[in-house]
Amino acid sequence: MKRRHVLALLGFFSFGGAAVAWRLLASFRRPDAREHIARSIAAIADVMFPGDGLASAAALGLHHLVLAMPDLQAQIANGVVWLDKRAVSQGGSNFLALDEAGKLAALDSAFASHDDGIQSFVLTLRYHLGTAYYSAPAIKSAFAYTGPPQPDGFADFQKRPA
Amino acid sequence: MSDDRSWDAIVVGAGAGGAAVAYGLCKRGRSVLLIDAGPRFDPSIDYPLTEADWDAREFPQKAGSTGKVTFAPGQKLGSEPLLASGSRGLGPLANGGTRLMDSYRHVRGIGGSTLHFTGESHRLHPAAMRMRTRFGVAADWPFDYGVLEPYYAEAEELIGVAGPATQGARWRSSGFPLPPHPLSYASQTLGKGAKALGLDWQANSRAALSLPWNGRAPCNYCGGCNKGCPRGDKGSADVTFIAAALDTGRCTVRPECPAIRIEAGPDDHVAAVLVGRPDGSIERIASKQVVLACGAVETPRLLLASDGLANESGQVGQNFMDTLFVTVGALHPEPQHGRRGLPSDAISWDFNAPDAIPGVIGGCRLYNAAGESELGGLAAFALRAAPGWGRAHAQSVRKLWGHALHVGAIGERLPNRDSRVDLDPVARDAFAMPLARIASILADSDIARLRFMARKSYELLAASGAERIYENYSSWDWFVATHVFGTCRMGDDPASSVVDAFGRSHRWRNLWIADASVFPSSGGGEAPSLTIQALALRTAERMAGN
Repeated sequence: MKRRHVLALLGFFSFGGAAVAWRLLASFRRPDAREHIARSIAAIADVMFPGDGLASAAALGLHHLVLAMPDLQAQIANGVVWLDKRAVSQGGSNFLALDEAGKLAALDSAFASHDDGIQSFVLTLRYHLGTAYYSAPAIKSAFAYTGPPQPDGFADFQKRPA
Repeated sequence: MSDDRSWDAIVVGAGAGGAAVAYGLCKRGRSVLLIDAGPRFDPSIDYPLTEADWDAREFPQKAGSTGKVTFAPGQKLGSEPLLASGSRGLGPLANGGTRLMDSYRHVRGIGGSTLHFTGESHRLHPAAMRMRTRFGVAADWPFDYGVLEPYYAEAEELIGVAGPATQGARWRSSGFPLPPHPLSYASQTLGKGAKALGLDWQANSRAALSLPWNGRAPCNYCGGCNKGCPRGDKGSADVTFIAAALDTGRCTVRPECPAIRIEAGPDDHVAAVLVGRPDGSIERIASKQVVLACGAVETPRLLLASDGLANESGQVGQNFMDTLFVTVGALHPEPQHGRRGLPSDAISWDFNAPDAIPGVIGGCRLYNAAGESELGGLAAFALRAAPGWGRAHAQSVRKLWGHALHVGAIGERLPNRDSRVDLDPVARDAFAMPLARIASILADSDIARLRFMARKSYELLAASGAERIYENYSSWDWFVATHVFGTCRMGDDPASSVVDAFGRSHRWRNLWIADASVFPSSGGGEAPSLTIQALALRTAERMAGN
């Protein structure tokens, strides 16, 4: 399946309340709010793709890629608000205050949520962060057969993989 | 403006058919102007397979290399658990209850869609050319396999097709030019499953060199055919037919020349082709002969936009047939790294005859789809095969990477009244030419065939030792056509067909069609490029004889 098809798929979960999200976004234009969003997305990146022995997504700076995508700004603002509220129900002051297990639980809740755009929010982040993470040279180099297939091709194509 | 030079023929479209007809004319001493709406591609510069981010890149997009189309509303869907597209990691693809009308995948450019094709090189099953007489569906081809066989052989020779000694009902006057490619490790694994099921799992015939051929180096099994072959061993039209046509010194190739109208002339002859120029002007190119080879979407569009030229039968744009496919991915306990080797290197023709599927008319074939499915590399695998996130996800990816096996099936698509190409009433291109609008509705028999294809794919994976299905994609809910056919059907009866058995318009005596739009039936899952080329060589021979 091609990348554009995945993006089409994610489009099925798009916001219905874009105007509401835009108002939310306006409140998050304040410097302190922007900083909170950036730290929250970095935390999401690290929980989603922690590396587990390799560099994490935030350590590779991949959250900056998502934060720089103009089309995602409203979705991100809305999603962070949702996760912060969810964190309160889990006993934390906000998402950032949760430990790793708590953050995972909040993300799982978001994925299962029927609230407008929330499932799309986590799937979109998973897609963009995951694509960037597993495309990063530092990560790919830890896996076999991930380098450019040319100019050498695969001389061992008939054999059991090394 | 107009071009004062003259050619014996102008060929519109430089893909499989246009390239072959140009070569066939040039080698007989005729001069040809070969034009295409798209650009030239330079394999050494444009293709991504040597780049570090090769896996994130598809076949390159260049200005004008993809035409725009629109779609009629998608078909309403019922419930087909075996056929619903999606993956464990990404979820369902089309979950709105409607078939996703996604894309007509093609390349405009010098070489056309052969630039990104896998390079399977198939002859049609002889019985698939008699669907009306034998089964009362589709239409008969106006000749039989034996008529086409010498042209198949000629095309295979020029391309350097590598294939096995025999292919069942597809009798041959001579062997394949090159020996078959060895099977990849993943295909060998699938072969064990095929053997357990009693299927004949054999080397696929491939337009990829197994030995050096005509100055081209052999394949090095990188698995990246669909992203563009930088070595030139894949037999795309640019390095085979067009190169041979240029060698004659009688072929002129012009990229970035979209044909926007065919001008009718007196005495049932067409007079000229009107071509759009990058600066927005229109050029008139007169020619003694005009060949349309734009494919089964753009050729009917051009005719319909030319005041319904050659549509005396009302069949232009009708009988549209698109790719009927299933691809299933599963995880094997042992590492496979199935991207190594030629994509689609092994095939089962067991169900390819039109009566081979119990209870359903129209055949299919099964094949190793690993190479095509894993071109997205590690990132695509990680997101599709392993659901969720967190440390458990990371550990799954580490454990499962390289364990995927994929089986694909492609099947016959029968024409019906609801599937067609016409002109969009609103959308137009930069030259105010209406866009093609595609309507595709699957009949119950098509869906039954898809079910069979999916069941067999699942069975083959299970018999091969794969334990867990993680993705399934099919044309039941996802229109993403590559092979398209039938919209300018050939036949002997001018009342029910657009062109005759040689591809010439029944009315317009110097207007010919050389692409898959002339196919009266689609075949049982065969890749169409070789048949397009064989037909085009036959058309060229006829044209040169006139």
